[in-house]
Amino acid sequence: MARSANNSKQAAKKKPMLDMTAPDMKAPKTIELRVLRYCPSKDSAPAFGSFQVPYTDDMSVLQALQEIKATLDGSLAFRWSCRMAVCGSCGMMINGEPKLACNTFLRDLAPKPVTIEPLQNFPIERDLVVTVGDFVKKIESIYPYIMPKAPKTIEQGTYLQTPAQMEEYASFADCINCMLCYAACPQFGANPDFIGPGAMALLQRYSSDSRDGGQQARLDRIRGEDGVWSCTAVGLCSEVCPKQVDPANAVNQNKSKSALDFFLSRLRSKESVS
Amino acid sequence: MSESRPYLRAQPRHWWAHQPYRAYTIRELSGVALAIYAAILLAGLVCLARGPDAFEAFRHFLASPVSLLIHLLLLAAAIWHMWTWFQILPKTMPKLVWRGKLIRQDVMSRTATLAAVACSIALLALFVVVGANI
Amino acid sequence: MSRPKDSPLPKRTIAPLFWLMFGAGGMLAALFGPALILATGVMIPFGWGLPQSLDSYANVLALARNPIGKLVLLAVIALLFWHAAERLFLTLKDMRAAPVWLLRWLTYGVAAVLTVVAFALLLAIGF
Repeated sequence: MARSANNSKQAAKKKPMLDMTAPDMKAPKTIELRVLRYCPSKDSAPAFGSFQVPYTDDMSVLQALQEIKATLDGSLAFRWSCRMAVCGSCGMMINGEPKLACNTFLRDLAPKPVTIEPLQNFPIERDLVVTVGDFVKKIESIYPYIMPKAPKTIEQGTYLQTPAQMEEYASFADCINCMLCYAACPQFGANPDFIGPGAMALLQRYSSDSRDGGQQARLDRIRGEDGVWSCTAVGLCSEVCPKQVDPANAVNQNKSKSALDFFLSRLRSKESVS
Repeated sequence: MSESRPYLRAQPRHWWAHQPYRAYTIRELSGVALAIYAAILLAGLVCLARGPDAFEAFRHFLASPVSLLIHLLLLAAAIWHMWTWFQILPKTMPKLVWRGKLIRQDVMSRTATLAAVACSIALLALFVVVGANI
Repeated sequence: MSRPKDSPLPKRTIAPLFWLMFGAGGMLAALFGPALILATGVMIPFGWGLPQSLDSYANVLALARNPIGKLVLLAVIALLFWHAAERLFLTLKDMRAAPVWLLRWLTYGVAAVLTVVAFALLLAIGF
C-alpha cells in the first residue's frame, strides 16, 4: 500500500517543463491603451490615439508605453527613468487618477481599456510630456537648503541631530518631485501661481530641520495669496503621493505659522497689508 | 527641431461636483448648516428683544414638527462637521514626536473626536443640572 | 538658477484673519455644536430629557442680560457665522459662482452685518 502511495506522489511531482495550459502560454492577451496625443507642429489640440498592447500580468503601464514606442508607434513621447518609483519622472493620469506609470500595473486595470493622459493642470509639451519650468522656479523660491541656525566651522565639528529631531522632517525629505500632488490639487488647477503642495513639502523639510534657522525667510515667501493661502485643505495631494510625504500637512501647518507671523510682524515693523 | 506650443487643458467648470472632489465639497457645505443654526439663534435673539409675545411665538415654532426636522438635519450636519473637522486637524499641526516615535494622525483624530464627544456630553450635563435647579 | 533674494517679497494677504475666525468657529462647533443643537432644538422644546421651562422668556432674558451670557451668545452666533462665511466664500469661489470681490461682500459682508446686529440686539436687551 505504502509503495503505490509513494509512486503516485512521484508521478504528481513529475510536471512537464512547460505547462502549455498556463494563461501566459496561450494566445497573448491584449489590452487597449487610449493615450492622449499632441504634437504641436501637427495638431491644433490634443486627441486620443488607441493601441492594442499584448501584455502579461507582471507588466506596468510604463512597460506598456515602452512596448507601444518599440513596436507600434515610435513617435510616442513620455518621460521615465528609474522604473521603480524613486525618480519621479513618469507621473501621468491613468484612468483619471494621477499615478506613476512604473508603479501602476496592467493586471489591476485589465480587461477594461486604460485611459492615459498627461498630468492634469500642467501645459502639455507633447504627448505625455508636460512643462515643469514653473514647478522648478517654485522650489527655488523657498530657499531649498539649510541656512544654519548656529553656523559651525569645519573645526567645530558636524551638526548633531537626534533621531527624534529627524522624525520631524523625515516624511517631507522623501519627496521625489513627481508632481502628482499638483495634478490632484484643484486650487493649483484654478491658480497656476499657487506655490503648491510639493514646494511646500520641501519648504517644511528645511524649516522643521533642527539645524535650520531660515524659518522667517521662508514664511516671508509664502505669506501671500499665491503662497499658503490658496490652499483650502482638500487633502487630495497627500492621498495621491506615492511616497507618503504628506504635503497637506506641510501646507496646513504653515497656515498657523503664517497667521501667527501676520500678527507678530506688526509688532516688528510697519508693513502694508494688501 | 519641432516648435514648442504648450497646450493647457482648461480646468473642468464643475470639478467640485465630481469624484474625487465631491466629498470635499460636501464637507465644506456643512458650514452652511452651522450658519442656519446661528440664524435660528439670532432669530430667537430678535424675538427676545421684541418682547414676551414675540419670544413665545419663537418657542412655539421651536416646538413644531418642521423645526424638529430642521434641527435633526442640522444635528446630522453638525456631527458630520465634527467628524471631518478632526480628520483635518492633524494636518494643521507640526509633526509631534513622543518617546522617539511620531504620533500617528489617526490616533490624533480619534483622541480629539472622543474629547469633543466628551465636551458635548459635559454641556448636556450642564443643561440638566441647570434645568433641575431653575 | 533664480535666487529667492532676487525677487520681491509677496504682498501680505488678510486671509489669515478670516482663517483664524473660521478656525475658532469650527472648533466651537466641533466641541459643542451637536450638544447645542440637540438641547436647544430637540430636547428643550419638546421636554425630552430637559425641562421645557429652560428656554422660558424669563430664563433666556436673564441669560441675555448677564454680561457673561452676552459674551457667550455673541461668541457662539458670530463665530458660527464667520466660520460659515469663510467656507461658503471658498466654496463659491471653487464653483466660480460670481466675481471674487462680490463673493467677499456676500459672505464676509453678511457675516459682519449679522455680527453687528447680534451685538446691537444684546445691547438693546439691556442689563
